[in-house]
Amino acid sequence: MNSTSPRPAETRRMIQAPVLSGDLYPEPSAEVLIKAQPAPGGESCVFRLNRELLPGYSWFFPDFESAAGSPLAEALFSLDDVETVLVMESMLTVTRKDKTLVDWKPLAREIGQVLRRLVEAGQPLIGERILAEMPSEEAIREGIQRVIDSEVNPGVAGHGGRISLLDVRGNTVTIQMGGGCQGCSAADLTLKQGIHKAFRTGVPAVGAILDETDHSAGLNPYFS
Amino acid sequence: MPKLNRFNIRIETGDTGTPGPVLFNINNHVLPFENAEGGTAPGEVFSGGFEINSFAHTLALVGPKEGAWQIRAMTVDFVCESAPPYSVRFGAVNLDETTEVNLWQDPPIPAFDV
Repeated sequence: MNSTSPRPAETRRMIQAPVLSGDLYPEPSAEVLIKAQPAPGGESCVFRLNRELLPGYSWFFPDFESAAGSPLAEALFSLDDVETVLVMESMLTVTRKDKTLVDWKPLAREIGQVLRRLVEAGQPLIGERILAEMPSEEAIREGIQRVIDSEVNPGVAGHGGRISLLDVRGNTVTIQMGGGCQGCSAADLTLKQGIHKAFRTGVPAVGAILDETDHSAGLNPYFS
Repeated sequence: MPKLNRFNIRIETGDTGTPGPVLFNINNHVLPFENAEGGTAPGEVFSGGFEINSFAHTLALVGPKEGAWQIRAMTVDFVCESAPPYSVRFGAVNLDETTEVNLWQDPPIPAFDV
């Protein structure tokens, strides 16, 4: 830093302003455009399209068997190394079986080709039964709240944590982690190994599970 | 988190302004901006920056000493080591004498066309 004399900060509450993300595809295009964005650790890759894949909903395909009847998932699972597929509106998240590979470019290009071919064909991408049997938002909200109250929160309470259900849109669930979970170094593990599993077991129709916790603002993390 | 070499900020004030001074908090040290221009009265635009050359564990815009400050939008340009320069646009936020607003955002995750 330069020579300007700083003074110690008073204790103030840190708040967050909304980040206005620029439009990924500002110009409409007749061409199917796809951007791949691997996670920093390489554990997953997000594909963003300029077309809707599943408007208003999301769906998680945990394995090849779950893809039956959904042409998009069937085609993706036929590629070597695809482990799970999450479809959410115009976005697709893929995890791979081989966790030692961090270079997503070869597999991402194959996935891009599959996506483009299917979207250009204009056929249904997701099994019609999935949407036909989709529970109401209210039923999903009640089911998730029941799982939080009966399983998740009693489990994390031992670490001073708590999970709150913020929103259900379609079958996409948004949660917030608080208390000892906020800022905890094990929060991601708790989310993926514990909460995701409990939600999907208790409410099989749940799609994407979004975490809106600001972990940098946690004042009382369990593992700091 | 990469090392932050420099950042510049542009603050657009909404209907409620503040007489200033405009201060920021870097790792719990409060400082004024360098090269400050413009103002923070209603509808005015303030700009400034700072050579940080350190890791921004905390980087926040400090609320006014008294009263409220309604910010319509902010744009922060970051110049970090080992990452291309990037900008983040923040939406509306209201500050007062008890609050500060986070300015730090990690560099965007690289993406490629497939």
